[in-house]
Amino acid sequence: MRGAWSRPLAGLSPRASTTLWAASFIVPVLAWCAISYLPFVWHPMVRVTDPGDVAWMTPGLLVDRAAFSAENAEVAARSGRPAVGAPANPVFLPAPHAVVRALVTGFTTPPVRPEEPWLHQSLWHSIQVIFWGFLLSSIIGVPLGILCGALPAMGRLTEPFIEFFRYLPAPAFGALAVAVMGIEDAPKVAIIFIGTFFQQVLVISNTTRRIDPALLEAAETLGASRRVLITRVVVPGVITEIYTDMRVLLGWAWTYLIVAELIGVSSGITYFINQQAKYRAYERVFASIILIGLIGLVTDLVLASLGRQLFPWLRTARRGWFSALVGMLRGRGAPAPAPASNADGAAPEEVARA
Amino acid sequence: MSVAASSHLEQAPEVRARFDRLKQRPVILEVRDLSKTFTAAGRPPTHALQRVSFQLHKRELTCVIGPSGCGKSTLARLVAGLEEPTGGEMLLDGKPIHGPGSDRGMVFQSYTLFPWLTVLKNVMFGLEVSGAASSAEAQGQAKMWLELVGLSKFASAYPHQLSGGMKQRVAIARALANRPRMLLMDEPFGALDAQTRCQMQSYLLQIWKQVDITIMFITHDLDEAVYLADRILVLDAHPGRLREVMEVAVPRPRGPDQFLEPTFISARRHLEDLIHPRAAQVADKLPLFHMADAGDNVE
Repeated sequence: MRGAWSRPLAGLSPRASTTLWAASFIVPVLAWCAISYLPFVWHPMVRVTDPGDVAWMTPGLLVDRAAFSAENAEVAARSGRPAVGAPANPVFLPAPHAVVRALVTGFTTPPVRPEEPWLHQSLWHSIQVIFWGFLLSSIIGVPLGILCGALPAMGRLTEPFIEFFRYLPAPAFGALAVAVMGIEDAPKVAIIFIGTFFQQVLVISNTTRRIDPALLEAAETLGASRRVLITRVVVPGVITEIYTDMRVLLGWAWTYLIVAELIGVSSGITYFINQQAKYRAYERVFASIILIGLIGLVTDLVLASLGRQLFPWLRTARRGWFSALVGMLRGRGAPAPAPASNADGAAPEEVARA
Repeated sequence: MSVAASSHLEQAPEVRARFDRLKQRPVILEVRDLSKTFTAAGRPPTHALQRVSFQLHKRELTCVIGPSGCGKSTLARLVAGLEEPTGGEMLLDGKPIHGPGSDRGMVFQSYTLFPWLTVLKNVMFGLEVSGAASSAEAQGQAKMWLELVGLSKFASAYPHQLSGGMKQRVAIARALANRPRMLLMDEPFGALDAQTRCQMQSYLLQIWKQVDITIMFITHDLDEAVYLADRILVLDAHPGRLREVMEVAVPRPRGPDQFLEPTFISARRHLEDLIHPRAAQVADKLPLFHMADAGDNVE
């Protein structure tokens, strides 16, 4: 029997869905473990345990495998004591357990030099830069995007220039931003802003254009003015899609963070990562990178969950955690509207939303 | 073209009396020489409507019927103010129509309930945006309209939880809640299955009986038109012209059992003679192929 999975757009059982979700994380980790713990997979280096008669080797030194055997061959030719070592990976690929240890101890390990920030201080700094850049961009970008999408004249006036500007790489404005705004956080926020804003306007105006024109016509025949059409039809009509766009855009903002933080005085998580690389503490470099990923993933999950609370019309029967919590605090379970079949004899359609 | 016995013109005395009374009522909508031509660059212009004139009297239920492309939807959109005519004029209570307004409610074929509002809030929408009623008043009125269409139980449901027929009943309640002068219905039951459509037609007649409303109902379904209408405007396609205004001799109150009555059948037959011969000719234009087994003639 052919597996159902090969059929395009095949549905997934909840169980398969969960398993595959887990596998998408487990498979890369297993691959990493294999590379780290199985000596025959890669291990191009040798970690010296006993230098023997090789003058320049010290215990713990990582030596290229070819150089190691060449050196030992030479020592053997002089009938000296050969060096002993175990196969190892390069220093820039730490094993999973080292990275996990670095993750766990990351927040309790003081910085190498007292004037350097702690890991949590670095992360907090980065989050603030992202927050302000994204917030400022959204305050202008979301209303502008909605207007551009809703009013063709507005879109025509604004979008061609934005279309041009969005191809200018945000980091290219680094030097300019520093010249105008100094070397502290302002130019970094500006880079996040530039990187986000122009995409945001275009993405949101495109989303807004997808509103069903029949809804606008229906509202017009109900006496809606033009202002009402925008505030009470267009905005609520596209808000859920825009919310999804914003989640994607927030991910883009994070990618601009690393460049932004190199501008002026290097700071935040980028500075932290660079410092750890200088100290050759690559397990902490990896730990920091994984932390960024985790923050992104958790933020997105929280936003997705929050979205289900904010937009109750997307939900079917199941109540979300937020309304369940509110119901609990009020000491009552808010009854969800449970439509039954009616005089039509037609069963209500349940629109399943992913 | 076989012309049926002209019995569709024969009216029972009480039907004739009813039409006489109807014509005495004030004119709600007057359409004079209405034309709409669509022009697109590089294409010949499409005459969707050409010099169409008619009057709708108060509380009349008029159906507009015609082959596809005859501009019947365009007619509804023009009266609703969603399109600008290229010629002629439309008067509502003697005043010219410019743009959409809450004095003309509309029910569309596609479902146009606002998905983010509950059923009750959907019905309240028009009252709220016009500021005609306070929020509490609007809620009270909306509940009354929901009761009229039999959906009080679903006031707090969202549209996606309703069946197609229920959605259209809410749409009718939403349009009526504004107390419009007339209701435009653009193939409102076209997307529903046959049984639900039949139920909806009965619902509509029931509602129309209880509410002071003039209805212009666009349809391509001949049975639907005969079942619902006082008068039927028959449109021609390419160009869209008013071919005939037919008074339906089927007595009221109407019911599904009348589908087999002679008045119903003759009215239906007459419409069919007006509309279908052209539609059926299309198949004769197909080239002839013999791909079936000779011994297996389906006829």
